[in-house]
Parts: sequence; C-alpha cells; structure tokens
Amino acid sequence: MQTQALPAAAPAARTLRLRGIAILLAAAVLIGLVPYLGSYAIRVVDSVLIYTLLGIGLNLVVGYAGLLDLGFVAFYAVGAYSYALLASPQFGIHLPFLLVLPIGAGLGACFGILLGIPVLRLRGDYLAVVTLGFGEIIRVLLNNADALTNGPQGVIGIDRARVFGIALSRPVDFFWVLLVACLVCGTLVYRLERSLLGQAWAAIREDQDAARGVGINTTRAKLAAFAISAAIGGLAGVIFAAFQRYVSPDSFSLNESILIVLIIVIGGVGNIFGVLLGAVVLVLLPELLREFAAYRMLVLGLVMATLIVLRPQGLLPRNLGPGELLSLLRGRRRGSR
Amino acid sequence: MSFELQNVTKRFGAVAAITDVSIRFEPGQIHAIIGPNGAGKSTLVNMAGGSYAVTAGRILLDGRELQGLKKHEISLAGVARTYQNIRLFDRMSVMENLEVCLYPQRTTCILADVLGLGEAGRREQRLAHCRRLLDRFDLVPFAGVEARNLSYGRQRMLEIARAMVRTPRVLMLDEPAAGLNDAETRDLKQRLRHLRRPDLIVIVIEHDMDLVMSISDHVTVMHRGQVLFAGTPAQVQENPDVREAYLGTEDELDAIRSLAQRRKAERRLRQQAGAV
Repeated sequence: MQTQALPAAAPAARTLRLRGIAILLAAAVLIGLVPYLGSYAIRVVDSVLIYTLLGIGLNLVVGYAGLLDLGFVAFYAVGAYSYALLASPQFGIHLPFLLVLPIGAGLGACFGILLGIPVLRLRGDYLAVVTLGFGEIIRVLLNNADALTNGPQGVIGIDRARVFGIALSRPVDFFWVLLVACLVCGTLVYRLERSLLGQAWAAIREDQDAARGVGINTTRAKLAAFAISAAIGGLAGVIFAAFQRYVSPDSFSLNESILIVLIIVIGGVGNIFGVLLGAVVLVLLPELLREFAAYRMLVLGLVMATLIVLRPQGLLPRNLGPGELLSLLRGRRRGSR
Repeated sequence: MSFELQNVTKRFGAVAAITDVSIRFEPGQIHAIIGPNGAGKSTLVNMAGGSYAVTAGRILLDGRELQGLKKHEISLAGVARTYQNIRLFDRMSVMENLEVCLYPQRTTCILADVLGLGEAGRREQRLAHCRRLLDRFDLVPFAGVEARNLSYGRQRMLEIARAMVRTPRVLMLDEPAAGLNDAETRDLKQRLRHLRRPDLIVIVIEHDMDLVMSISDHVTVMHRGQVLFAGTPAQVQENPDVREAYLGTEDELDAIRSLAQRRKAERRLRQQAGAV
C-alpha cells in the first residue's frame, strides 16, 4: 500500500522543480556576488573552497569507504611541493601551472597507493594511527630534506600561475580556479559514489568480510579510493602553492589533517554539500572570532563539542546531497522511482 | 563438475575442530550436513568459503585447489555462501545488495565509471538480472528498501538471493531456517526445492530435521569433527549410530520431542500476541 504513488504527487512536481531551480539560482547569485567582495573576504572564500576541495577528496576515503585517514595532509603537501619545486627558482625549473596540476595529482595518487599497500590491511583505530604517522613523516621529511625542499625556510618566489595566458594574481582569480576544481572534483566523486565501485565501497563500509564473500577484492577497491582521494589532495596542494607563492612544512601540520576530518564530520559524512557547509563553518568561525583572540580556540572547541553531541550525524544528513537536488530539478522526490 | 573435500583438517591451536574429513558433493543435488552443536559443520563451510585457512587437506572444485585462495577469489571461482547470523549490507537497498555483487565482473575502468560511458545499457542489464532474482524470492516490492528494514524472514531470503547473483556452482547455506517461524520455514522448503539445478551443488547446514529430511538428496552426519555417517535421508534416519550420537536414545528423543512441542506452542502464542 505504501508503494502506491499518491495522486497528489503529480501537481507537486512543478513546485519541486521550481524549488530546485530556486536553489541553483541562489547559488549562482551568491557566486556572482563574490567578485564584488573586498579582498579580505575573497581570501576567506578561497580558503573555504580549498578546504572544500580537500574535504571532497578525504570524504571519498572517510565517508564512502569508511576508512579513517588522519594523514591526508601529506598528499596536500605532495601537491604543493610539486608546484613549488617544478615552478620556482629553487631548481630553475619553470613548468606551466596547467601541466603541474596533473603532475601534482598523479604524484598524490602514487603516494596514496604507496601508503595504501602496507596499511590497508589495518582497520579502524589502527589505520588512523598509521596514517597519522605517515602524515607526520612527510612533514618531517620536508622539514629536513634541505637540499630538495629548502627545509623549514620553505620555497619562496614560486612562479605566478598562468591559465591560457591569463596571469592568476588576485584572490578572485583563484576563486574561479578553485570553483572549477571543486565542481569538477565534486562531480567526479559524486558519479563515482553512484557507480558500482561506489557501491563496493559502501559494501566494504557495511561489512568488509561479507563484501569479500561476494567476490569483491576489498584491497583493490580500497586502494582505488585512497589513490583518487590522494589525487584530489595533490590537486588542491598545487592550487594552494600557486595561490600562496610560498610553501613551508608548517602549512602541513597534523592540525590541518584533523581540521579536514572535522569539516567532514561537522558537515555530514559522505555528503558533498555537507563538506561545503563544514568548510564554511570551520573557516568562518575562526575568522569571525578573531576579535576575541584570547578565547577563540576555546569558543571553537565548545561549538565543536556541542555540534558533535547534538548532531553526531553532521549538519546535513547523508541523503540531502546532490542526488536530492537533481531529483528536485526533475520534479520528483528522491526514492519515488 | 565436482566439489570435493579431501582429508580436510582444521585445528585452532591445540583444538581439532575438523579431523580428516572427506566429502564428495554431486551436482544437481541438495546435500545436507547435520550434526550436534560443535560437530564442525560451520567450520567446514567457513573453510570451504575461505574465511578460515585449512590446516591440512585439499578442497577441489573441478580439480582446482581452492584452499589457500583468498576469500574473494574463492567466491569468484563459483563458491557462494550465506551466514548463520545474517550478514547483509544493512544500509544499502535490497537492490543494491544484489547489484554490488556484480562489481567484480565490471570490465570498465574508473574513468568510464566517472564519465558513465556505455553505462546506461549495462546498468539496465544488471538491474534486470537482479530483478529476476528478487522476483524468485518475492522481494521485488522491497527493491528500494534498506536491507536492515526488512523482516527477519525476508532478510534470510535476500541473503540467499545475494549468494545467487553471480550464478554460483556451489551454494552453501549455513542454517537458512534459523529464526524462521513455521510459515516461513515451509516457504523456505519450497524455495530450496526450486533451487535444484543440474549445474548447481547446494549444501545446507541445518538443525531443522523435518526440513533436512524432506529436501535433501544426500545427508552427511558429522560428530566431533568427523564424518559419522553419509547416505540418503532414509538411511540416516535408520542408522543406530546416528540416532544415538545425534538424536539421542529413545528416552531422550521423547524428552526432546515434548520440549519442541512446548516451544512451538509458545511461539504460536507469541505470534498471536504480536498480531494483536
């Protein structure tokens, strides 16, 4: 009886579709307003988008495959140093930004697989501890490999990025680059989630042993998640290095890894829109609390603790993602197929 | 086609769970493995399914040695199973529970997944295949429901359906009737009979003697990690060793019968109470 569609659902289709279009329009207007903001505000928006991109990448591993990775910042560092070393006076190599983007992503993926092969036999807390260690190893390595990375002083004078002959110099230029990167990676990850591979990840998250029992090569599926997620981390790193035009190991501390995990947890695990919301909350809160510098971390911690107690599933539920928006646009509620 | 255990032994430390067991399973038949608790039935399934490593002996499917293969490789070789305590992908829909089993057959690369190249047709094929299976187990109306929200009996059916998705050659059912009520058990009996196919070996581990005797072609009785007796259901029922080891002496048998009747009455009362 429940499966029968309600007759009233048909006229509601238009309202639903209008609601979907309204959401898209609101998003477009918000995006269109960004260039008119002040330089400081645009920097904050850029920061939100960088963390969104990182969140989208890490969400693949944490949210979809259910593996807690506390060393994600290492892949971010690999990407950032790719650009820093391949487009700076450090070695006199000056590769174009658009070429380093895939190189950084590829190197990130390689490191992801390199880390994945030994650690993927571990689960839960053990995996978290080992990945945490890996993140620190990369940071310490960058700090000490003076000949390669210039150690704690970092790499300075990184080339100004150019895209199709246009120099990226103002924060608003990077806003567009980051927006495109987020849209592309978000779509990619969303499509992956709904593919058979995405279902295999979900099965592994539910019951790894039963997943093996139905013939899923769990190691390979998890490696794929690690590699893609690390590639997105590398990509974000390249953009970050081009934006800052300076990288040092300080930018890739354990705090960053934890911040990215928090973005996912606060926003809603396994939900791309949730990541955006989480990034907004976690980047804006410290900025808004800047005036209360002394109590900033205290207030931030309190907000976190409250959120986690009151909404352990995150601000956005798992099913309130792009799928919901798409079905709104088609004029029907999700799950009524 | 043949599926065979040859001198299989499993030890957990100093405890021997299975000692030198050899069983040959014939295609087109339903094989039951029975025995008291702790006889080693589930251990046998867990070894054949790759959950436990074999201590000694060989497991052969068409002459190919399966022992030492990884669990997913054994599954891909054509050995499917269900679990004593149901293990579905709880937060996935009924349809997804089946569809995900087709992941290993996927020929496309990740890039094709992302771009959705040629997916539409293949997805339809996959869904049609899964829907046929759901239909066989009367689960089509529940295709979009999360597996954990199904009733217990339907979860059992879904688990069997899931094991059938990749058309296995060996299907091992670990206590499929456990926790089912009388009506559901009768229903299960019918469905198991319909599972019989000339190219499929069905192995059932079960405590419900009525079910075992009515559906199986061949029964292996295990006792303390060894094969006590093997034969047709009629032979097993008449064998005095089996009666003593498994069913107990005549007096014990009476006691068990009356206990079973009392349980049944209690269950009926509970069901009535639940229905009100």
